[in-house]
Amino acid sequence: MEKEPEKIIELVNVSKIYRMGNEKIYAVNDVSFDIKKGEFCCLLGTSGSGKSTLLNLMAGIEKATSGKIMIKGKNIPKMNENSLARFRQRHLGFVFQAYNLINSMTALENVEFPLVFKRVLPKKRRKLAKEMLVKVGLGSRLLHKPKEMSGGQQQRVGIARAFVAKPEIVFADEPTGNLDTKTTIEVMELIKQMARDNNQTIVMVTHDRSLAAYADKVIHILDGKIQSIEVNEQSAEEDAQMHLKEVSRRLISDRGVDAGMTVTEEQKE
Amino acid sequence: MRISDLLKLAFRNLMRRKARTALTIIGVVIGTISIVVMVSIGIGVNQSFDEMIMQSGSMTMIRVQKYGAVYDEEGNYVDSKEQVLDDSTVELIRGIPHVKAVSPVISQYASLYSGKYESGVTLYAMDCESFEAFEFPPLQYGSYPTKEHPATIVLSPESMEYFYCFSGNNYQEKSIDPLTEEVILQFHNYQTHQRKKEFKLEFTDVAMMEQTDNWEYSYNIYMDIDYFRQIWKQYSNTLTLEDRKRAISAIENYEEIKINVDNIDNVEQVREEIEALGYAAYSEMQYLEPLKETSNMLQMVLGAIGSIAMMVSAINIANTMVMSIYERTKEIGVMKVLGCLVRDIKRQFLLEAGLIGLLGGIIGILISYVLSFLINKYGAGIMGSLVGTGTAGELSVIPFWLPFAAAAFGMLVGLLSGYFPARRATRIRAIEAMRTEG
Repeated sequence: MEKEPEKIIELVNVSKIYRMGNEKIYAVNDVSFDIKKGEFCCLLGTSGSGKSTLLNLMAGIEKATSGKIMIKGKNIPKMNENSLARFRQRHLGFVFQAYNLINSMTALENVEFPLVFKRVLPKKRRKLAKEMLVKVGLGSRLLHKPKEMSGGQQQRVGIARAFVAKPEIVFADEPTGNLDTKTTIEVMELIKQMARDNNQTIVMVTHDRSLAAYADKVIHILDGKIQSIEVNEQSAEEDAQMHLKEVSRRLISDRGVDAGMTVTEEQKE
Repeated sequence: MRISDLLKLAFRNLMRRKARTALTIIGVVIGTISIVVMVSIGIGVNQSFDEMIMQSGSMTMIRVQKYGAVYDEEGNYVDSKEQVLDDSTVELIRGIPHVKAVSPVISQYASLYSGKYESGVTLYAMDCESFEAFEFPPLQYGSYPTKEHPATIVLSPESMEYFYCFSGNNYQEKSIDPLTEEVILQFHNYQTHQRKKEFKLEFTDVAMMEQTDNWEYSYNIYMDIDYFRQIWKQYSNTLTLEDRKRAISAIENYEEIKINVDNIDNVEQVREEIEALGYAAYSEMQYLEPLKETSNMLQMVLGAIGSIAMMVSAINIANTMVMSIYERTKEIGVMKVLGCLVRDIKRQFLLEAGLIGLLGGIIGILISYVLSFLINKYGAGIMGSLVGTGTAGELSVIPFWLPFAAAAFGMLVGLLSGYFPARRATRIRAIEAMRTEG
């Protein structure tokens, strides 16, 4: 038996209910799953499926109505704002669809920003940020402002910012949503590579089925519920085969057949 | 976040909107100037009053005079009445609480001669033991009379200044030094008996007061009351029979009783108690109180005008901060998601507001100093006649604490007006903030 990696994220019966007048809307409806350390997990669903809400719940940006979200042994919905902030400083990184860089700051300052909150001394954090930007291929654009860069470059800055503090978990909300295909592949490769280098866990939300191929685990979300969970045993390095396999896997899952490579789990109680 | 990082961020955010920051700071500058200048004028006017008070005698003094003023119910002077002031009155007043010292006063007009020069002074005879309590000024030379050595005559500096020679064609003015020149005192109030030798008192034992602002101690001469009675008796003996009786009866009752009260706040109370005993009494306080009230009122009005300006600038700061928060909603959301503590977000906005207040305060103070200088240089004449202070004192006085107080106040206003916007910033929910554009 292989040694099981530890569960770094565990969701148990998580629900998020919005009230619109007397009507209850289940954005997330009784969802349970877990993510292991070092795993690349993809939450896949159409817009309005509740996948982004799920991510926000995990990151503590929104509070779950019920259920348990355990990350590194801490129950996120029970934490107060201050300890959540400290928790994010230490363990979480974020990549956004709209990049969310501070426009008045240079690339370097943007990457430094999370370290400023962590009270890292200026010299040290500048060095770390610079290294990170070199790593994402922006060594020559340190002092450029976001408005002076292309979308792909901005997202690289975003990635550098997410990874600079060496968080154990990085949440990515449609990280390639605003990018063209070529840049999408570059950015995905970058995220994947960064995560693998430091054995970091990635939780990515997307509606793009083709991106799911990068993931070790794909969780299909529909109307706030988990439809199915695919565990992808193969590594996503084999780019050439990626698309073909993705298509075939989808066909199999659509027919509801349990193949050796695809495991469909029933939802836990 | 580190304080240095917070400061840097706050500065950077202020610099991002230079024009708006500058305008807000100008608002605080105007507020600060109006407060500092108004308060400085208030203080200046008050100081002028205080100088006036100092010149008009001790503030803790109450006088009961032989001819007491009678007022009607509205406080208008209607008549004067003669009241009998004797030792029993003195003892009666001595019994009132808060009375520090009581002394009967006899005053007589006297002539001074030095060679062919002569001068006139008012001689005040008081209880020498009460001199200290009545804040007699320090002496240039000699010493105050005591019960053991009562014969000292205490001179005020200007009593020796104006001696005239009436025999010459032109009235020559001369000041006499009683230490080196002979001075003789004489009374001319009553007729001397033909067969008796004129009364003369030679100055042998004298003391000289130092020059003070208090006019009481500038022109008169003083001696112990017992010693005075002694020389008055000698003088009476030289008079005609008829006048001798009049002279003796003239000092039987006192001209005045002076009372010194332990504290300025008790003066009115003691005065009222004396009035309750049936004596008309008056104090400088009685007249200066309304003046003081006017001056305080003036200070309050000026302060209020300044405060209004400051309030406007406080609203201005709050407005700027609210605007700034709207603009930076997304940024705040991002900061929160990246792990910025709520405390740090609040601090950052408070710091920005505080910096606006502090900068405005400092600039305002500098300009206030210039304005204060100009007011004193050019405005004193105009304002002086307006406010009614006759003295040539400075109209605008900035005491050393005022700039610090103003800077601190500016910063406080900034912090207070930044508080609610800052709290609002911390309540921004990250999820909504990140959805907004910008």
